[in-house]
Amino acid sequence: MATETIVWLLPLPPLLAFFLIVLFTNKSKALSHSIGVGAALLSFVGSMVVFFRALSVEHFGEGEHIFASSIPWLPTGDTFLRVGVQIDPLSAVVLFFVAWTILMIFLYSVGYHNFGQPKGDHDHPGLPPHGATVTDAHGHKHTVLSVEPMYSRFFAFLGLFAAGMYTLVISDNLLTLFVGWEIMGLCSYLLIGFWYAKPSARNAAIKAFMTTRVGDVFMLLGLAYLYSATGTLSYREIFYNQEVLHHLAETSSHVFGLSAAGLIALLLFIGTIGKSAQWPLHIWLPDAMEGPTPVSAMIHAATMVSAGVYMVIRIFPLLTADWHGHDLTTAMSVVAFIGTFTAIFAATIAVAQNDIKKVLAYSTISQLGFMISALGMGAYIAAAFHLVTHAFFKALLFLGSGSVIHGMEHGVLHTGNHHVDPQDMWNMGGLRKKMPITFWTFLIGGFALSGFPLVTAGFWSKDEILADAFAHGHWAILITLSTAALLTAFYTMRQITLTFLGEPRTKEAEHAHETPWTMTLPLAVLAVFALGYGWVGIPEHFPGLGGLLPNWFHHFVGATLLEHPEAVEFSPIPLGISLLVALGGLTLGWLVYKDVKAGQPDPLQKPLGVLYPFLQNKWYFDEFYAFFVIKPMTWISEEFSYKWMDRQLIDGILHTVAQTALWIGSSLRNYFDKPIINELLGDKLGAYWTFQPAGRALSKAQTGRVQSYLIGAVAVFLLVAAALYLFIF
Amino acid sequence: MDFINTHLLSTILFFPVFAALVILFFPKEQVALIRWTALLSSLVPFGLTVWLWTMFDPQAAGFQFEEIYPWYEAIHSSFHLGIDGLSLSMVLLTTLLTPLALLASFSVQDKVKAYMMLFLFLETGMLGVFLAMDLLIFFVFWEIGLVPMYFLINQWGSPKGEREVWSPFGSYITSARNYASLKFMVYTMAGSLGLLLAVQMLGVLFQTYDLATLVAQWSAFDGTLFGMDASRVKVIAFWAFTIAFALKVPVWPFHTWLPDAHTEAPTAGSMILAGVLLKLGAYGFLRLVLPFYPVEAQQYAGWMAFLATMAIVFGAFASFGQTDFKRLVAYSSVNHMGFVLLGIAAAAKAIGTPDATIALNGAVLQMFNHGLSAAGMFFLVGVIYERAHTRDLDKFGGLFPIIPVYGGILIFTSMASLGLPGLNGFVSEFLVVRGSFPLLPVFTAVSMLGLLFTGAYILKGIRKVLHGPLNEHWAHGEHKLTDINLREILVMAPLMALILILGIYPMWLLDVINKAMLLLFS
Amino acid sequence: MIPLSWFLYLSAVLFSIGLYGVLARKNAIAILLGVELMLNAVNINLVAFWRMGNLALMTGQVFAIIVFAVAAAEVAVGLSLVISVYRRHNTVIADELNLMKW
Repeated sequence: MATETIVWLLPLPPLLAFFLIVLFTNKSKALSHSIGVGAALLSFVGSMVVFFRALSVEHFGEGEHIFASSIPWLPTGDTFLRVGVQIDPLSAVVLFFVAWTILMIFLYSVGYHNFGQPKGDHDHPGLPPHGATVTDAHGHKHTVLSVEPMYSRFFAFLGLFAAGMYTLVISDNLLTLFVGWEIMGLCSYLLIGFWYAKPSARNAAIKAFMTTRVGDVFMLLGLAYLYSATGTLSYREIFYNQEVLHHLAETSSHVFGLSAAGLIALLLFIGTIGKSAQWPLHIWLPDAMEGPTPVSAMIHAATMVSAGVYMVIRIFPLLTADWHGHDLTTAMSVVAFIGTFTAIFAATIAVAQNDIKKVLAYSTISQLGFMISALGMGAYIAAAFHLVTHAFFKALLFLGSGSVIHGMEHGVLHTGNHHVDPQDMWNMGGLRKKMPITFWTFLIGGFALSGFPLVTAGFWSKDEILADAFAHGHWAILITLSTAALLTAFYTMRQITLTFLGEPRTKEAEHAHETPWTMTLPLAVLAVFALGYGWVGIPEHFPGLGGLLPNWFHHFVGATLLEHPEAVEFSPIPLGISLLVALGGLTLGWLVYKDVKAGQPDPLQKPLGVLYPFLQNKWYFDEFYAFFVIKPMTWISEEFSYKWMDRQLIDGILHTVAQTALWIGSSLRNYFDKPIINELLGDKLGAYWTFQPAGRALSKAQTGRVQSYLIGAVAVFLLVAAALYLFIF
Repeated sequence: MDFINTHLLSTILFFPVFAALVILFFPKEQVALIRWTALLSSLVPFGLTVWLWTMFDPQAAGFQFEEIYPWYEAIHSSFHLGIDGLSLSMVLLTTLLTPLALLASFSVQDKVKAYMMLFLFLETGMLGVFLAMDLLIFFVFWEIGLVPMYFLINQWGSPKGEREVWSPFGSYITSARNYASLKFMVYTMAGSLGLLLAVQMLGVLFQTYDLATLVAQWSAFDGTLFGMDASRVKVIAFWAFTIAFALKVPVWPFHTWLPDAHTEAPTAGSMILAGVLLKLGAYGFLRLVLPFYPVEAQQYAGWMAFLATMAIVFGAFASFGQTDFKRLVAYSSVNHMGFVLLGIAAAAKAIGTPDATIALNGAVLQMFNHGLSAAGMFFLVGVIYERAHTRDLDKFGGLFPIIPVYGGILIFTSMASLGLPGLNGFVSEFLVVRGSFPLLPVFTAVSMLGLLFTGAYILKGIRKVLHGPLNEHWAHGEHKLTDINLREILVMAPLMALILILGIYPMWLLDVINKAMLLLFS
Repeated sequence: MIPLSWFLYLSAVLFSIGLYGVLARKNAIAILLGVELMLNAVNINLVAFWRMGNLALMTGQVFAIIVFAVAAAEVAVGLSLVISVYRRHNTVIADELNLMKW
């Protein structure tokens, strides 16, 4: 099959799976997950074929050396808006990690939703399963995990999600990218609110959809602007075209002194702020943890948030169109600032979280901040590299945390104490012995996140970002990101220590249990990438290791741009910083938390003082938005727009007009018609004095005999005839 | 066959009346017979329209399938029918929605015969507006549509509702359906007055009511009339036309009849009201205002855009502020039709440019799309209202497990209304935004606020009805809700299919619209 | 050929007889008969004028046929009214039917 055909077909299997499951197979759990996993597998195989074919093309990405195909989609006057698919080096590497993580998440979901377990005693659709009572051969009753009541639906939604992401990755233009982008928005809404009967999940779903939509409407404006300025939305025609970029950079947008290119890039970037949960639209992502854990992995690693960064990488040529390689342009500074601030801001919050998934959520925000910051300072390759490695290790961490929670739920069902939160890290401890596979893979993921030197992928990618910041002299960014990296290592070790090391702090943790192979296999596979993927992007001049392996990532992805980006010169200083913050943070985390006993407060609580609740409450951003945005908006909607404006002002005017008309009408009737016409003219003058007597007299003529009327008629006829004869003829 | 070939448009136009007259002779107890006759006979115009679609040549300039008969020779009005791509798409929408609305009305138990007959008359009234090529005929059909709708709201509207009538003189409570039907009627009639005067002026001035001739002569008209300059007369006539159509669209601030009428109308009535009747106003802008008054439209494009933006933003806000499910959907129509007017305003500002064509494409497609999704939404509200006898959002909650199929359909249709890419609403909204942005950047940017709140009210509807903890009242005993039944699914299926098809591959429709817009306005 | 005036005389006579019957007879049926006579007198006029005038113009004949139709309808309605009156009042004498008297 032609590669282009395969590319076209990539989103199709999961999409078909969605329709098949929703319409036909939702009664059968086994059939539904077979269709779901099968579809993911098909797309995976297709993606791998495309990826490896891309590898085998020489000078892939340059000029015509890409896989591309398009069709006319919307007629726009005399021209057409064409949409199509395109695989260039950037989309190839993204496709690679997307295919792997999606397949792993599909497989993992089978185990996570307890396939094969009995139906729950009191389970309802819309609530997480509560466990089922089974009687074994000896007559003992056990409470075991029960299967998710909406099992099939989950796979359907996951399929649609995957279809959205594949659409986004393979598209050759920003419009279909936006289509995939929004479909994922819908899926995140559906999946975060999967347990819709929980008010918290329901609200989190709406929060996610609405917050990202704030970004999306700006993005739509950006699309409209870009489209009207260039007449196309295709990547190749805009981002691979020096003329168009130059023109956009030269045109002024009349807004804040930005060039058209800068303003468009910023409008599109606001879409990313929403989608990739950057400050100040980061608030939805921690709440999104309400969804089942595979969804968290899907959103946080494989698809949605990566999509946001992917888009900024895509529009990088536009963002940097009026950049000459030295001082950052306004647009770039904004991007860099948002990214850097988000990186440190989210890292501080993650330090004070107790929920195992919330820590990861904030670490995602923080890591995405690293990438955005890298893009803001023009480090194209570093951002793309971190995007890929992060996707692998973050998917691993989320799935690992899901495995932990799953194991804890096992313990909770065993003891029957449902007041124990299976997600609270303070209830865990010592899980390394109970769940060895989960422990080792989680450790790998955590070390990758912290940037543990040399062996983990995260080290290489994060180091590259810091090296870029150093090489271009962005000191503020360098210092902030380094601090964020230190915090990252610290809270990661805090998490690992609290969860896996030491002794169990609750009975539930003692009874935790390793999860089934469908869950641990994906962990193992992802762990391989979390370690190994870094080796494809080792800088050439790295001491010892540099040059052993070619810096494949740099050369391959660099070909996406018109001008291949130069690798930064090697310097030991950022390397030293990297090593210091990673190892220092990890050690610090271990030292502070290694001896925490059950019931003991967080050791950080005392030294941080008032700062601790501030961090724990996420800098009070939710409260801020509730008071300054949601409340006024609700007031405008319910009170101002509807009650005041429509019901009182506009309808009031209408009713006033109507009542004035009524008043005129009734006045005419009461003061003119009734007294003058009816009574005076009618009753007095008319009826009483004139018409009644006249009528009485005339009524004598009514004899009631038909023939006398006829005689009258004949007489009149004769008279008229005579008159006519006399006077006219 | 030959007769139908030469009289295709009048057959489509008058077949519903013919069917209504047949129904007149049925005994009124034979409810099933009446329903099926109405439904099956409304499928005939649909079938003919599909046939028409296949024979229509989008490339050809001017009107096709023209029919012309002497009608009122003394005042030079003739019964002139014809179609182009614009009216064809609207005719398709009308003939598609009417059978669905009739099928949706199978649950009507009261005075079925009169109901069905009125509905068929309504169809002819609406079709007449889209098919008329004579200004006077246009006006006649424009008014004909009002009467059946008035009775549908007044007689078959929700019986219990009450409405507070507030004014500085004091307030009182009245029957909501009486209030709504009267408001609808009086409001539209008031708008039509200016239109009638303007139409008469044109007819007397040029001794013809033929659209094509009038457009040519009127734009060339230069001189004095009623002691005024031609340009001033044109401005006055422009506003007479504009206000009549703006009332019907409806444009902020003339929109308050719409939530009342929609809320009180019977389900199928709301479907048609939102699906087709609102489009009459927008059609009037495209068919009459822009061709007749290009200069004035350009002059006042900013004002039109301002009103459109207000409709978009405040329609969305007001919708979000509702607790009545149906009123929420009704306000969403104000919001969505605002985009149609925004596209028209943008086109008016720079008629003939590529941007204007894109905006017009978006506006017409948005008319079609809103017809599908709004009809679907109103029907779904009707489905749950029939079962629960309440539309109060606060009384629902967590119904998804009880009515899963309904829930899925509701989410699907809501997403179409929200403008989710992949479904139809997105394509048209994108085109409107794309077309308007270069011409009216500020208004387009502000209207994004409305687009944002579209999401808010749609999600509010879903949240209050489907999600959250289950309201046990609806789960057991006599109040137990039943899921959507087969007949109701059959109503939704064509709508959903079209929503999906138009979202993925809008070319088949948009191509016809695009060519029509190019031919009309360049 | 018989001159036109003869037909006119005949018609006039017939009409007068009819008129007399209508005015003078008391029996309602007889009055109806009188009306019939008058109508047919008119028919004779119409046909005669047509025959003597332009043969290509069919107006006279068409009118005569219309008069037939009207006459038939009139008789049907008239007789049924008479029967109905008879059932109610047991009489067909016009003088006695004076319900409409002042």
